[in-house]
Formats: sequence, C-alpha cells, structure tokens
Amino acid sequence: MKMYTATIPGSALKVRSRESYYARQKQLFVVVVILVAIIPLLFISWTASHFYQKSWLNKTTVELTSLADSRREIIDLFLDSQENILAGYAELYDLDWLSTPGNLEKLFKAMNRQGVIVDLGLIARDGSHCNYVGPFAEDLKDKNYAEARWFAEVMQSGRYISDVFTGYRGVPHFIVAVTDPSRSWALRSTINSELFNALLASAEVGPGGDAFILNHQGELQTPSRLGLTALPSVEKGLLATGGDLTIHHSQGALYATTGMKNNAWTLVLKTDIKTSLADFYRARQRDHLIIACAALLILGVATFLVRSMMNKVEDADQQRMVLYDRIRNSEKMALVGRMAANVAHEINNPLQIIGDQAGWLDELLDEEDPANLKNSEEYRTAFAKIKAQVKRASTITHRLLGFSRSTEGLKAPANINTLVEETVSFLEKEAANHRIAIRRNLDPALPAITTDSAQLQQVFLNILNNALDAIGNDGAVTISTSRGNGQLAVEFADNGPGLSEEGLKKVFEPFFTTKKAGSGTGIGLAISYSIVERLGGDIEVRNGRQGGCIFRVNLPITAQ
Amino acid sequence: MSEFPILVVDDEEEFVSTLVQRLRKRGFAGEGVLSGSAAIARVAASDFAVILLDMRLPDMDGGQVLREIKKIRPGSRVVILTGHASASEGEEGIKNGAFDYLLKPVEFETLLEKLEAARERVP
Repeated sequence: MKMYTATIPGSALKVRSRESYYARQKQLFVVVVILVAIIPLLFISWTASHFYQKSWLNKTTVELTSLADSRREIIDLFLDSQENILAGYAELYDLDWLSTPGNLEKLFKAMNRQGVIVDLGLIARDGSHCNYVGPFAEDLKDKNYAEARWFAEVMQSGRYISDVFTGYRGVPHFIVAVTDPSRSWALRSTINSELFNALLASAEVGPGGDAFILNHQGELQTPSRLGLTALPSVEKGLLATGGDLTIHHSQGALYATTGMKNNAWTLVLKTDIKTSLADFYRARQRDHLIIACAALLILGVATFLVRSMMNKVEDADQQRMVLYDRIRNSEKMALVGRMAANVAHEINNPLQIIGDQAGWLDELLDEEDPANLKNSEEYRTAFAKIKAQVKRASTITHRLLGFSRSTEGLKAPANINTLVEETVSFLEKEAANHRIAIRRNLDPALPAITTDSAQLQQVFLNILNNALDAIGNDGAVTISTSRGNGQLAVEFADNGPGLSEEGLKKVFEPFFTTKKAGSGTGIGLAISYSIVERLGGDIEVRNGRQGGCIFRVNLPITAQ
Repeated sequence: MSEFPILVVDDEEEFVSTLVQRLRKRGFAGEGVLSGSAAIARVAASDFAVILLDMRLPDMDGGQVLREIKKIRPGSRVVILTGHASASEGEEGIKNGAFDYLLKPVEFETLLEKLEAARERVP
C-alpha cells in the first residue's frame, strides 16, 4: 500500500541508493571487525602451534639420539665381549688340545651358558675344519674355508666379525672369528641371531618406527621391524654408513644413525614423526576446534553488533530525512503562504475597484431615463454578473489567506469527536441529497487535545467536502477516530474512485485538483496540509484496499 | 442627511475617488486622502465621524496611523479596510482602538451597514 505524507521528487531513488549504502557499510564493518578480531587469534594460534611442534620435535630428537647412543654402546660392548672371550680361549689353548674330541664341546658349554652363540668351529690354516660343535655338523664336516672371505680376513688381521651372510648352511648368520697368536689356526663362533636381534628389538622407537643395522653396502644386518627386506633407495642414500651420531629428517620420519663395529656397520633408529607427535596433534586439533568456535562466536557477535548499530544509524538517518523533508515542506508552505498573502492583497485591491466601479455605474443607471436606454436590463445583468464574479474571486483570495494565517494564541482544549460531529452536521444535508451516507466510527475514549478547533474544522470540512465530490452520488464516507503512539488519528475513508499514482503524490500541492475546471481551486487540501502541520501533526493519503481514498489526519496528543 | 463626515484613507486613487463619490451620493460628507501623513493632518484639522483606513499605505504602516489618530481624536471611529487583512490583522486593529474591520473586496452595501452601525454608536 502506498502512502504519501510529503513528496520529494526522486526520493524513491534516494531510498534505494541509501539502502545499498547501508548494506555496503554493514558488510565493510563486519569484515573489518572480523579481520581485527580473528587475524590476531589465528596468528597467535599459528605461532603457538609452530612453537609447540618444534619443541615436541626437539624432545623426540633428543630421545632418539640418546636411544641410538645407548644401543650402539650395548651392541659394541656385546660384540667386543664375544670377540674377547674367543680371543682369550685362542691364547689359552693350543690346536692339539682343541682338536681333541670333547674339548671343544667343553669350551662351547662354558662359553654358551646364556645361549649367545649357536656353534663353535676350529679351522686349520689350510681352511679345513679340525673340530666343530653345533647343529650343522653334518653340513659343515668336509667344508674348506680357504676361499671364504671371512677366513682370509681373520687370518690376516687376527680378529674378525663378519656381516650377515648365508654361507654353506644356507641360513643368514654372522660370525666372530679369532686366530691364535701365531695365526696358524682360527676359532670361529656363530652369534645367535635371535638374541642379537633382541638387543635392538627392545629399543623403543614407537609405532611406525624401526631399528636395524646396515653394512657398508646398505644391506640389512638385522630384520626390519616393518618387515623390509631391502632398504628403499631414498633411505639408502640418506643413511650413509658409519660416522658420528647424526639426525636426519626426511619424509615424515626422523632418523638417528651412528657408526658401530669400527664403522663397519651403521645403527639406524627411525621414528615416525606423525605417530610420535600424536599427542601434540591431538592437542592441536582440540586447539583448532576451540579457535574455530571462538572465530564463529566473534563472527556472530560482530555481525549482530554491526547490524544493530547500523540499524540504529539507519533509523536515525531516516528520522533525520523525515525531519528534513518536513522542514523543507514547511519552508515551502511558508513561502507559498507569503506569496498567497501578497497575491491576495494585490488582487483584492483591483477587485474592490472593479466591484465599486460596477456598483457606481449601477447607481448612476438609476438616474438615467429608462426610455432613452435601449439595453437597460442588459446593463443591470452585466453589473450583477461583475459583482458575482468579484465575490467569487474574493472567496478564492480570502481562502488563500488561510496559508499565512497564524495559529498563535488560538489553541484551546478540544474534543475531536465533537469537532467531527459538528463538521458532519454542516455537510450531512448535502450528503443526503446525493444519497451519500456519512458513518462514524469514533473512539469514545479519545482524550481532549489542545488545538485550534476552528482551523481543524476547516481541515475536516475540506477533506469531507472532497470525499463527497469524489463520490458524486450514492456512496458512503466512514470517519473513524483512534489513538496510539502519542497521537490521535482521524480517518476519512470514501468509496469513490480513489486517486491515481500521480494524484496521490500531488494531492497536497497548491492548485492541484481532480475536479472539473471552475469547480475547484485546488487549494483546500494544500491549506489543510499547512494547517495540520502548524498544529504539529501530519496528513497521509492512500487508496483503500477495497477502492476509494483514505485521508488520515494525525494530531499530537500533547500540545505543540 | 445630517453632517456625518467620513475620511477614506487608501493609496488606491480609483478606489478613494469612487467611494467618496458614492458616499456623497448617499448623503455622507465624504473626503479622501492617499497617504498616512495626509490622513493624520486631516484628522488634526477636522473631526471625522468615521475614518475608513487601509492598513497598507505607501508612507506609513496602517497600525501606526491608527495609533496617531486615536491619540489626536480618541473618540473617532476607525474602520479598518484592507486587502491584506487576515482576521488577525483586523483583530490587532480592534485591540488598538479600531471600531471594526472589513476585508477587501467589500460590497458597498456591507460598508454602508458598518457606517450605520458606527453612526448609531455616536456618543
């Protein structure tokens, strides 16, 4: 439903552009508030996360380093002790004693109370087996080691610990071998792989971690916990054998490598970063969740606050605009008032003279001899017409003065319902002549207000008159009074044809009329508008849902 | 017609001359002036029964002329006659001692009625 209280050309356009302006401002403020609140939050979160990840990683590195160091020491000690025991026997006994059946068994039993070795063999300088104690007696009985690499090495250097090899027995194993001081024979033991591997297996590298030993060729000397049979090329390249304890960081894993067995082997401990930082990741996930909740909260609060703030600004702006429109309208009406008063004055004087001259001629006509006057009656009619038109014109000029009429000092308590009844009584007869019913729907509890009754009655008369004119014949006008929002309202609803869009906009402009030429001046509603405005109220006009036109006069309950 | 001198004060010469002619025809001793100062001078010189006074004069404000006249001759009856007159202007005049007010354009008969009313009030 369209309603007009005042008209400003292009105001609809302005409202639209203002709406998009407020929408833009809202978005901007929300974005700014969010950025200002959330960016530091994200920054702190990122920094903290980064810091904690680094410290967790450092802690893991330190643990891995110490683990690698201790394991290397344990294994080196183990191998040294095996070598030393064997070397001690080789010094203590000679070939004959050791070759004597039963003696090597005694030695094996003495050495192997903990099951550290699998077998013990005595090999002569020519590589032939002189004696053997162990489970592979049948397989190794006639074997000659003259061509075996380990044999050549031990005969050359006196002591030797081999890499893992398959050998004659067809099972991966490694051996510890020593010679007698004159290097004429060698004593060789095979290390119990299970026991040796257990030395590594106990290293705690966590789930997804691994612990193994590599030789110079990068071949696994102990089984991989992860079931690897050969090392992936990346790791092989990374884990250059030997050297001091080193930490590598690659592909989500942390490696500690250290040379052992005089750098012939490399101990590798690997821990999976993801698994070892699992606790940290869980904590970080929880933090992220909290931050996301906080961000959502900030987003919600920021949006809510900005919306409510901008809505207030918008309301204030709108109130300001309404006030501005009213002031502009008041100024316009004041100007119209001054102009109307001046025009009225300027016209009233010539009207007075026209009327007087006609009257004077009329009087002079009395002195003429009717016999000599051919058109005596015509003259009289013409003078009467001039007088009538002067009267008509003066009615208009006197009404124009309504624009500039002051309301100062003319206010008194008035009952609006009574005023409506009085107004209706003036026009009821005329309405009945045109078969128009005037219905009242008056609120009996309406309070008396301090206002200018005479001028307000003029307003009601104007509106009611217009309603009767709009209906023509057969119809009804309903006048209702009500109160609310510190205001009192009088509504005049007719069932006439209503007003066009153009009419709704211009109905309060001076000299706008829908009546046929000569029957309306178009100033009644303009004057009504200025009167109501001076009384601190306003007039609205709209078309009714069921047709017809509705004028609503709002008046302040408290005196202005 | 007995002596009932009337002074018409208005800057519209046409209005003044016609009105004076018509008044004389009805037996009034009509006389007209076109300015405030001339009106005051005439009132000082001669006692008019009724003074018809326009509120807008070229040299002086009608209200001022009214006050001067009432000072010189407190018993004189001034009928304000103005084209500009809103009711408030006329009422203001009455407060300042005017007998009554009329809004231009006024019909001659109405004017005569007002003059008769003034004559009846002659002390």
